[in-house]
Amino acid sequence: MSILRWTFLTGYFLLALLPLSWLVLTSLKTRGDAISTTPKVLPSITMPQEDDTIRFPMTRAGYRRLAEPHVGTTQSFFSYLLNSIITGLVSTVAAVALGTACAYGFSRFRVAGARDWLFFILSTRFLPPLAVVVPVLMMYREFDLQNTHLGLILLYTSFNLSLAVWLMKGFIDEIPRAYEEAALVDGYSHLHVFWAIIVPRARTGMAVTGVFCLISAWNEYAFALTLNNAGAVTVPVYFAGLQGNIQGMPWPQIAAGVLLYVTPIVVFTFLVRKHLLRGVTFGTIKQ
Amino acid sequence: MPHTNPSEKQAQRLKYAFIVPALFLLIALNIFPLLYNIVLSFSNAELSGGDWQFIGGDHFTTVFSEPKFVTAIQTTSLFVFAAVSIELVLGFTLALTLNGVFRGKSILLTLLLLPMMLSPAVMGLYWNLILNGHYGILNQSLTFLHIGQPQWLTDPDLKLLSILIVDVWMWTPFMMLIALAGLQAIPSYLYEAAEIDRASRWTIFRRITLPLTTPLLFLAVLFRTTDALKQFDLVMAMTGPNDRATQTLSALLYQVMLRDYNIGLGSAYALVILVTVIALASMFIRYIDAIQRRQGRTAP
Repeated sequence: MSILRWTFLTGYFLLALLPLSWLVLTSLKTRGDAISTTPKVLPSITMPQEDDTIRFPMTRAGYRRLAEPHVGTTQSFFSYLLNSIITGLVSTVAAVALGTACAYGFSRFRVAGARDWLFFILSTRFLPPLAVVVPVLMMYREFDLQNTHLGLILLYTSFNLSLAVWLMKGFIDEIPRAYEEAALVDGYSHLHVFWAIIVPRARTGMAVTGVFCLISAWNEYAFALTLNNAGAVTVPVYFAGLQGNIQGMPWPQIAAGVLLYVTPIVVFTFLVRKHLLRGVTFGTIKQ
Repeated sequence: MPHTNPSEKQAQRLKYAFIVPALFLLIALNIFPLLYNIVLSFSNAELSGGDWQFIGGDHFTTVFSEPKFVTAIQTTSLFVFAAVSIELVLGFTLALTLNGVFRGKSILLTLLLLPMMLSPAVMGLYWNLILNGHYGILNQSLTFLHIGQPQWLTDPDLKLLSILIVDVWMWTPFMMLIALAGLQAIPSYLYEAAEIDRASRWTIFRRITLPLTTPLLFLAVLFRTTDALKQFDLVMAMTGPNDRATQTLSALLYQVMLRDYNIGLGSAYALVILVTVIALASMFIRYIDAIQRRQGRTAP
């Protein structure tokens, strides 16, 4: 049993990580080596022999070239990265803030039809983006929100709200009410109670919720593709748009860019790893 | 709530200040477009703008007689079924092997979660490099092992399988994460009692582990099903939206609305898809509701 267990785990682990290791190797290659017809698997520091088919010289060119605009595009990777950072961060902060406030409202006040409202909020999660993208596009034309950061931020915030409200409600429900009630009796307002008592105690929950919101906003593609052709193009749309480029796909740059792009997500996920399990269960289990 | 609070009236007004901003955003950006979509589906609107008129239910006649739509439904169903069942089995097995305490577990877990942190659109693109028939590392390895050279991205019989492989690679960790949460929530005294009764491993699995994780696994399945139904990013990156072998419903929507600019027809498609998704979503929601009631969590 134990041998079977470790074989499966190791087997899956290696298979799942192979494509990622290849990504790392690709980011260190020249474009020629990245699409070589013989597999270049061993990085070497010195120039390999002419007849060496598996070694390739490591280069940082893939990373360096990210700073230059690629043929056919006007800006470098970093300006698209900036768009992603603005839309990703602002929409995550907004979704967590609005979600926490809304969850507090539902957790601590009597709201008529609360259950129905909560399930209405959850149901918006299932909306396929492409089924609403055209009406959104037409609305955005009216309000001049096409090609703007604000347009994407509003959409990502709204699409992450369902998750934020539900996760945060789970977390806030478990905060004991004793402190708040004492504070309310002492004459503090609900707003003050929310800020001084709830928010500090819900910090873990907010961090976990933030990670999930950030992952989906950071990697979103359908809306970013259809609502933008300039102005707020995010990294996924930029890279996907390189398909059919006259110079061919710049694989080392793409690999390098992907690695840089995923780093913040990995760091955040690692920081909240102990509480992640709470996040994926929609508050249906208590830990 | 303390009803003795003197500022009760103020509190009543304040509760809307907490709730309304979120609801407003949801209604403005999710519900309003949905309703607008219904209007458009009865019109002859084009993406280029300009005046449009109501043309009645013509689009719906087209939708249901269009072979592309039937094919897209079949492709999507096959994809959803295959992806979700493979991810469930792999993810649950992984969670079983990971359950328990051992050194380096949190690092291992973070590494295993890496694929789901990556952008599906860009990963689809990158997998083209791995799966390429000429310079892809996969076929180069297959040569080495003297196995054939499948043309993953151009053979119509293999294209959907290739997309499936990438989807499984990206989303099995998600199933694993939920399954793990379920496993960790099983109280250890149950296992201790079973051990005292000298129950076999298989009996313990069948009578304790499986029934107690089923609710969460079902939750994970519903979650992944609704996500897989939206599959778009990988299809776009690996075969494009108009490929007969891989045109999922979202890809069809994209093609009709944003490449053929036929908004009316596209909205009719969207509406039919929405009805299906809403049916599935209400199943999901009822299920969560049932679990929460069983746990004795009452509505606020």
